[in-house]
Amino acid sequence: MADEDVQRLLCDHHYALAFELILQRYEKKVFYLAYSILKESANAEDVAQDVFVKLWQVLPLYDGRAAVSTWLYTISRNTALSALRAQSYRKTLPFEECDPPAVDPDAGLRRLQLKEVLPRLSQIEQEIVTLFYLQECSVEDVAGMLDVPAGTVKSHLHRARRRLAELMRS
Amino acid sequence: MNCSEAQEKILASFDRDVFPGQRDALDKHLSECATCSDFTALQSQLDLFLREQIVAPQLSARFRAAVRAKIASQHSDMLPAWLPDVAYVAGSVAGLALGAVLLPFAATTVVEIGASVAIVVYLLQTFLRTALQQSIE
Repeated sequence: MADEDVQRLLCDHHYALAFELILQRYEKKVFYLAYSILKESANAEDVAQDVFVKLWQVLPLYDGRAAVSTWLYTISRNTALSALRAQSYRKTLPFEECDPPAVDPDAGLRRLQLKEVLPRLSQIEQEIVTLFYLQECSVEDVAGMLDVPAGTVKSHLHRARRRLAELMRS
Repeated sequence: MNCSEAQEKILASFDRDVFPGQRDALDKHLSECATCSDFTALQSQLDLFLREQIVAPQLSARFRAAVRAKIASQHSDMLPAWLPDVAYVAGSVAGLALGAVLLPFAATTVVEIGASVAIVVYLLQTFLRTALQQSIE
C-alpha cells in the first residue's frame, strides 16, 4: 500500500513526523489540484497552505480506512472549491503564470488564449484538462487526485478535446 | 474501423492509450479517410496548444515555512483543550461548597446529591461534545 510509512507513523501517534512526510510528498500535487480549480498561482498557494493546516488539525482522527492521499485530495478539492465560490464575483480567472502563446498568423488555434476557451468547459473538465497537462499526461495520476476511475478521466478528457477543437475551429 | 471508432482511438492516442495492433488499423483508416485525417491534425494542434499554454506554476520556496508558521500561530492562539474540563470541575466544587454552607440541609446530603448531578452532567456534556466534533469533522 502507498504511504505505508506514513500510516505506520500515524498508528504510532507520531503526527509531526507523518505530517512532514506528507508535506514533502504531496505539496506539489495539492498545489496543482488547487491551481486546476482556481487558475491563479498565488491563490492556489494560499489554499494549499490552508489544506495542510487543516490536515494537521485532523491528522489524529485518521482511521486508516482510506489512503492518506485520497483523504488529502478530498480536503484539497473541497477547500479549493470553497475558495472559488468565495471569489466567484470575479469575472475572469487568469492563468497568470502562462506565457503568451507563440504568434503564428497561419495557425488559428494559437491566436486564442487558454483563458478564453477553458471556461467554456464544465468545472470537472477544466480540472481534468489542466491536471492532465500539469501531471505530464498521466491519466492514472489525475484519477487518483480526483478519486474517480481512470475511465471517467478519459471520457471527460475526450469530451473536452472535442469541445475545445470545435471552439477553436469556429 | 469506422470513423467514430477511429476518432475515439485518435483521442485515446493523446492519453498514451493506443496499443500497437490498434495503431495499424488506425493508420490504415487514416490513409483512406480525409475527415479523420483532418480530425487528427486538429487534435494534434490542440494538444500542442494545451502543452504550451498549461505551464506548471512554481510553488514558492517558502511554502513549507509558511505552512509551519500558520500552524504555530494557530497553536498560540488556541486555548488549551483541557481548559473547559478544569473550569467545569472548579465551578462544580465551588458550587458544592457554597451549597453546603448556604442550603438548609445537612452538608453531606448537599455534597452527595450535588456531586452526583455534577458527574452525570459532566458525562452528558462529554458525550455531546464528542458527537458534535465528529459531526463537524
